[in-house]
Amino acid sequence: MHELLLFASVPVHQHHELLQQLTGLTAMQPRHLVERRLIFKAYRKPGLVTSRVGGSQDLQQSGDLQRVNKMLNGGMFYTQVVGPVSESDFSTSGPADPDTQMEGMDESKPTAQGTSTYDYEQQPWKLEFRDIPEAGTRSAVTSRVMASASLPCGDIIPSMNAWGYSFVTEYVVEGDVFIQNDIVIYLHRVLHYPSGEQEHREPRRHLPVLKEMTPLEKSGSYVLQASINVLDGSNQETMKTASQRLFGLREQLKSAVRLEQADRLSLDTRAK
Amino acid sequence: MSALTSDQIKVLEQSRQRLVQLTRSLGSLIASLNQSDPLPPWSSLQSQASIISNNLVSVSEHLSDHRDLLSSLVAYPGPDYPGRTQASTLEQLLRTKLDPRVQDWVARGRTAGTEPPAVDASNLNSSAIAAAAHAQKPLSETELADLWEWAPIEANQEARRRNWGGNFTLEEREAGIQNVVTGLKRQLEDDEGSEDEEEEEEDEEGEDEMEVVGVHRKSGGNGFEFEIAPHHAHAVEPVVPLADILRYMTTGRMQ
Amino acid sequence: MADSFTLPLRPVVEQQNRPDTLPVEIAQINSQWGSFRDVNEEVLRAKIAEEEARDGALSEDGEGESSDVDTTERLEQLYKRRADITQFAMQSHMETTFALDFVSLLLSKHAPRQAETSMSAYLKQIAPVGSLHSEVVNPPPKPESASKDVSTVSRGWRTQNFNSAANKLLTASTRLEGEITSETRYWNEVLAIKENGWKVCRLPRERQALGVQYGFLEATPVFRDRGLASLRRAENGSLILDKGLIPSGSRFVRVHVKQGSNVFTSSNPTESTSPDVETIEQRILQARDSVFEEELFHELVREARSMASSGVTTRENLIRIPASDEMEIQLELVDSNDDSLQSDQNSPQRDSLLADGLAHSIRLLLAFAHRQNMHRRTQMPPPLTSKKRHTPEYHLLRPALAYLQHLSSVKWLESYFSDIFGVLRSSGLEPAEYISDTFSTWKQISLSPVAPRVEALVEKFLRPIQSVFRGQLLTPNGSFAVTIQTNLSGPPFGTFFDVSFDLPTVSDLKSPGRLGMRDEVESAITHLLLLDVVSNIASKELPAKKAESPEPTGSRKCKWDAVYPHLGELLLSSENPEKHKKMKVSLTRSGLGLSSYVVRSIDGVGRGAQERPSLHSQPSTWKSPSISASTPDNGSSMMNFIVAQASHDE
Repeated sequence: MHELLLFASVPVHQHHELLQQLTGLTAMQPRHLVERRLIFKAYRKPGLVTSRVGGSQDLQQSGDLQRVNKMLNGGMFYTQVVGPVSESDFSTSGPADPDTQMEGMDESKPTAQGTSTYDYEQQPWKLEFRDIPEAGTRSAVTSRVMASASLPCGDIIPSMNAWGYSFVTEYVVEGDVFIQNDIVIYLHRVLHYPSGEQEHREPRRHLPVLKEMTPLEKSGSYVLQASINVLDGSNQETMKTASQRLFGLREQLKSAVRLEQADRLSLDTRAK
Repeated sequence: MSALTSDQIKVLEQSRQRLVQLTRSLGSLIASLNQSDPLPPWSSLQSQASIISNNLVSVSEHLSDHRDLLSSLVAYPGPDYPGRTQASTLEQLLRTKLDPRVQDWVARGRTAGTEPPAVDASNLNSSAIAAAAHAQKPLSETELADLWEWAPIEANQEARRRNWGGNFTLEEREAGIQNVVTGLKRQLEDDEGSEDEEEEEEDEEGEDEMEVVGVHRKSGGNGFEFEIAPHHAHAVEPVVPLADILRYMTTGRMQ
Repeated sequence: MADSFTLPLRPVVEQQNRPDTLPVEIAQINSQWGSFRDVNEEVLRAKIAEEEARDGALSEDGEGESSDVDTTERLEQLYKRRADITQFAMQSHMETTFALDFVSLLLSKHAPRQAETSMSAYLKQIAPVGSLHSEVVNPPPKPESASKDVSTVSRGWRTQNFNSAANKLLTASTRLEGEITSETRYWNEVLAIKENGWKVCRLPRERQALGVQYGFLEATPVFRDRGLASLRRAENGSLILDKGLIPSGSRFVRVHVKQGSNVFTSSNPTESTSPDVETIEQRILQARDSVFEEELFHELVREARSMASSGVTTRENLIRIPASDEMEIQLELVDSNDDSLQSDQNSPQRDSLLADGLAHSIRLLLAFAHRQNMHRRTQMPPPLTSKKRHTPEYHLLRPALAYLQHLSSVKWLESYFSDIFGVLRSSGLEPAEYISDTFSTWKQISLSPVAPRVEALVEKFLRPIQSVFRGQLLTPNGSFAVTIQTNLSGPPFGTFFDVSFDLPTVSDLKSPGRLGMRDEVESAITHLLLLDVVSNIASKELPAKKAESPEPTGSRKCKWDAVYPHLGELLLSSENPEKHKKMKVSLTRSGLGLSSYVVRSIDGVGRGAQERPSLHSQPSTWKSPSISASTPDNGSSMMNFIVAQASHDE
């Protein structure tokens, strides 16, 4: 499957307005989306030894993964594991937020973790593989091969390790999704976990207070991503239709934001 | 009888220059009329008319400023003028008699100046004001002079009490612009700073207006575009380039 | 003609018989022909001929002027004015050129190079540089009167020009005021519309114009795009709803239900407004209703075409659907203010409930389809393929038809049960009341946490409709159930009956399961009830016969034995092989019949020639009370009959 994309940087002061404009344009309410994203890096050629590792049994059952594996063809890549979470999964209060504690929420223990109903074991995950964007395409859109596969819930580290991947880091992406004309418009930003915590070697089992998450881009700006998927990337006609639609959107948003092709190397997923 | 002094020649030279301008502006009006079908844009016609009018005023002012010199200057053909063959051209050049149409125009002015203007009413656009003026006893010469002396200053003062540009009237501003219901979501800027526009002579004012119209038309044409991305008073531009954010999202590292 | 010195930049109102004064004419002649000296007879004659030719054309023009000023005339007038302007300009240009030539030639004596630049080519040719001399003289003082005259002339013109300027300003201000009034009115009306909740926006193709969105975003594109009309300003500022090329009339879908000779018609769902008192809001509403109705009909036709196999036919503005039994439904797109329909309305409408119900349901379902479209549109899209996505037909007619079909089946089954239970009761049996749970699927409360309540409610109508009938049999622990299921929204299409039995006394009885035809259902249940009756008879203990009990074992219990239950046959065996008794039970919807025979055979099971009707018995029948209103003709119950038959000795 192919993915065609355009990006734009959206200053924080324009965010609210752009949300409204997109709501009007797409004639739908924004769908708020918060995702955990885990970055994994291949430490050996994937898929070579999977059959011998017991931990990967779950993975082997997945036809999706077989497909992804085939596609990787022995290359070493960064890949993302994405898990949707809801805002209620985050802790309701934390030590760094005395205001909420003042409100008489006695249940919140004075420990570092606030209260949260988040159950790591029930966290669904999806493997999202993206190839490096195609080079030298003359069209003004970013185009890349993509694949995704469902993963078992909960702790996926053993599976990923067995698969040949090691955990690098994780962050949270929050934003709003709009759909128009088969285009997924995602206005989002990256949030860091509170800086006080020590470096995690594996995904967190608890989520901090959402308010304590800090944007990667300090000014709080957002990224607007418009993407459209094409089942058969070798079909020139469909690929053309897809980019035409993106250009149409770019034109419609012209006066608000400038959607552009991304720098190819910034989306380089190859693990060196 | 004496030859011309250099100062006097300078006056003539100034006359020449002003006439050059007038001739040119008339020439360009004719050219633009000929080039367009049916007519040039009204704004261009009007600006040309006002240029011609300015040039005429300048010629006329010059002539009256140097009235004494010009009325005592006598021109005659020198011996080297081919008087025999080119008499008619000479006649044209030295003609002092007015063109019949101009003569008529002068006559009508004379009539209007001496008699009660009611006689000419048939030629005027009959409006209520004119009728009212005609019904009254016409003003005497001195009264008229007084009126004309008083009027420009008074009109100017009246004009100054208005803000001719901007988004709000003076009354609205005095009542507080926050109370004005514009029906717009965006905030109109109160460009009070631009109030210091000088009301100058009538002609120049006319030019100013032309510009104002031009600007409005332009902003009217693109106005909706601006509406989408209005300027923010507190714009915060992103510090981290988009490429770095994407790189981080892909690999977990900024570089 | 011109009172002021300003150039006539806008068309001046044409003055009839304006004084074309001699001086002007002379000036014109001067500029057109040059000096009078050059005019000779020959030239004039030629000119006159030319004039005459043109006169003809001019007089034609004159005739046209009386009529309204149309475009060509306006254009002509415009060219005339243009010629006027050009002529004035040329004249002035000529005059200034003379003046310039004069000054230049005069100066050329003192500053030849400079002066030469502004001399006309012609003058340069004929007059040598510096050929005009000048001197300053002491002129005699000008008379007082001369300067006074100048100031009089200038004062005169000044007054007149002020007058004319004032007039123009006043006209302009009046016009501006009028403009402000109508703009204010326009914007107030726009605001009023917005405050009433309509979406007011810019037109996509005409960025400068305002429009109002009244249509349905989720409709098929052609109708979605029609849901936007521009709000134009009339001369006086009032709003005009401009729908472009779309006809302004309003139409709606009318439902006729034909049952035999009766025709029931649905009413107009929209308020009909008289065109005189229309407000802009009413016009918007009308436009909205009309676009909805037309979309409705469009979708109905689309769906109807897909149902052609069930006998649905479509014509331009009419859909005919054979619904069930004797019912036909007609859907028609009609004009709201069609008078012929109004008169139709006056004919007595006994009961248009069904027609109205249908009319409402198709509209609700279209609104529901819109919501479904919204959901579909905002889902994560599947990847693009080269295949075109087909928009499935909406379910507008099918749920309604399913309802009618189902209702008809339910009614049929109810009437059948009422008949056959009537028969049983009239025979003195006491079958338990059957329980019916009709349209059970509609009663289930299944609120999806995701979908809004309204949608969940409507969604039910798209699912298969189900009704269940249950009853207890006479035989203990015996029961039956009939489930009617109708589904027109997806396979399996149509109405099916699921019949299940539980009769412990008949071991080889199998539930018939899914049946399609009513006849099959009827015979299956009738058969079950027959078996039930037979079992019931067989279970009945007969009183012992004292006379005929030679056996020492005392009173032997004797019973009818169901030998051929499926045929309704029972046997009462006797010691006397000549005197076996046989009874035959027959059950139909209309009646229950019993007859007994004496059978001569060894085992009493044999059939055929040995049978003869019992002497003491007439075959006895019980009919459904609904068929014969009178009491059972034999006046006794079935149980009495079987006891009586058993006790009679041949």
